[in-house]
Amino acid sequence: MAVARIENLSFSYPEAATAALREVSLELERGEVVLVLGRSGSGKSTLLRALSGLVPHFHGGRFSGSVSVAGRDTRETPPAALAGCVATLFQDPEDQIIFDSVANEVAFGPENLGASAEQAHGRAREALAAVGAEHLLGRATRELSGGELQRVCLASALALEPELLVLDEPTSQLDPGGAEAFLALIERLARERGATVVLSEQRPTLPLAICERVLFLRDGRLVLDAPREQALEWLEVEEPGFLQAPGPVREHTGGAGEVVCSLHSLTYAYRPGEPVLEDASLEIRRGEIVGLAGPNGCGKTTLAKLACGLLDLQEGRVELHGRAGYLSQDPGRYVVCERAEDEVALGIDGDLPAARRWLGELGLAGRERRHPRDLSSGERERLGLAAVLAIEPDLLVLDEPTRGVDPERKRELAELLRAHVPERATLLVTHDTGFAAAVCDRVLTLPGAREFSGV
Amino acid sequence: MRPLPALALLSACVVTALVASHPLSLAALAAVLLVLVLRASWRRARLYLIGIAVSSLGLLLIWPLTAHRGSHPLWNGPIVPVLGSIDVTYEELSAGAMQALRLAIVALAFAVWALRLDHDRLVREVRLARRSVLTVALATRLIPTLERDAAGFVEALRGRGVPVQGLRGRSRLLAPLVASSLERGLTLAESMEARGYGRRGRPPRSHVRFSWRERLSLAFSLLLTISSLLWL
Repeated sequence: MAVARIENLSFSYPEAATAALREVSLELERGEVVLVLGRSGSGKSTLLRALSGLVPHFHGGRFSGSVSVAGRDTRETPPAALAGCVATLFQDPEDQIIFDSVANEVAFGPENLGASAEQAHGRAREALAAVGAEHLLGRATRELSGGELQRVCLASALALEPELLVLDEPTSQLDPGGAEAFLALIERLARERGATVVLSEQRPTLPLAICERVLFLRDGRLVLDAPREQALEWLEVEEPGFLQAPGPVREHTGGAGEVVCSLHSLTYAYRPGEPVLEDASLEIRRGEIVGLAGPNGCGKTTLAKLACGLLDLQEGRVELHGRAGYLSQDPGRYVVCERAEDEVALGIDGDLPAARRWLGELGLAGRERRHPRDLSSGERERLGLAAVLAIEPDLLVLDEPTRGVDPERKRELAELLRAHVPERATLLVTHDTGFAAAVCDRVLTLPGAREFSGV
Repeated sequence: MRPLPALALLSACVVTALVASHPLSLAALAAVLLVLVLRASWRRARLYLIGIAVSSLGLLLIWPLTAHRGSHPLWNGPIVPVLGSIDVTYEELSAGAMQALRLAIVALAFAVWALRLDHDRLVREVRLARRSVLTVALATRLIPTLERDAAGFVEALRGRGVPVQGLRGRSRLLAPLVASSLERGLTLAESMEARGYGRRGRPPRSHVRFSWRERLSLAFSLLLTISSLLWL
């Protein structure tokens, strides 16, 4: 029996020149796990929002065709009224938190559905137990790590006891171990509760192992709707980038240049007595790309920031020969100027011709005068990278540059990094083992406790 | 203490700050609120205390320069177009100090609300204007989020070799911070709607029973308000 049915769905966001979805039709059966793939901007998130009724109710726009969930037409039923049938988990857990306490956060949904405070808190306890996070019940949400918040958000969705669970890139912020455990949990929940799960991902290797069916969107059109085995064959031919890492874009030569940055016995703690980094040493040479891997919370970002001088040293020594540039996680969020070219020119004394050249190199030609916040998320990420590359740093530090980036863009980024490799030393902080293998001359792994090891 | 009586007490403090005219009453009130703020973790309280100090001192400095009253001059400054004579008198200075103290009390009361009250419980217990209370609680949560975002902006700019120094450098972050918080707000609103917020048919709130201590606090709030209107 179909839990959701989409018929000839076309949708355009307000003021958008092109449609985000075009004549999409599909049915979702009870208890199946469906993976939605596609490049950035292909319409994955829009499709998921259409299933939860947020498109068109929340976003507005031009909507044609029909979507029904549990027999209810989403055009006539607002998202709040659909909440008992469908639950949605968005990409960034931090942006979804309403309350200070975990218990109230998870109980919020059931209370909105009409449950009494006692019933809602009972359901919250059950949902937290289901995701292996009962121990977080009495904790404050502001104290939780990204992985823990992700579990709390999943519990908040499960507490609604939905027939359809919609997950938009739920593992984008998790390390490979955490992502694997999270997806195993999703598979178990789908099996035990009989809920239909629809999830989108940019790192499809792990979800491909648990899903039963794959959808592929291209420019808003559903070009593949097939069982997993059939989908794997299709992907192999049509979109091989989704099945494999970019592959070595050039033979790795290793750094032969002079030492640009030396880190000696670094120890760092954000709270007294709880060091995230202990006695870490590293040397990076011009002409090499060094990957830094390890589980969430192991100190990768801390080490990268210490190398750039963005954190004050506590113990140890850093020798930096030249200029450092740092691209933070989620760089698209941190744009300060009103035009893309001004954003890039900010770090190079307002040199607009150079800024335009870098925008062109990053595939943003024609976007020079656009407001950075009007660019797509992928374009904003590239704008951030252009702004850092423009200062021509001797040490380039990239913190999770492939988060939420589709395989095609990853390949382009890999080629760009390798093309400029002789000019500088590059430190790449990443969970993306495939990408690291493709571009790095060597990869170092920092040890640390895995957040999802208990699942 | 439940958040409702605590909120009543803080509201009484704000009313007292606005209507009381005796400096000792105001100073005592400010001291009590400061102690309450300092009982929160220093890491969280620091931002509020800096904001309170800067705004109160700013008012203390600006008030005498813009007011024109008093007959005991302490300093005779130049004549500035529009503003007129920039003189500082004893009366202007004492009035400026009173206004700065009032501002500090209102801001300290807000800091106690933000740092010490259980907003979750307040949202759950309040029977009137629940949406407004939830909005204020969410806005309060925005302050630490803005602090984190501001740190992110500073880090992103320093990562490109752009120093963020002084008032001018930091003021450049104001518009992007507002834009960023609006983006966050949209995601939060989307998430709330997806979790059934705004749906009809919520069960009635259970009746809240106050303890004798909480009843005493409510009575004291009323007494403080009346006292400030009549005597302080």
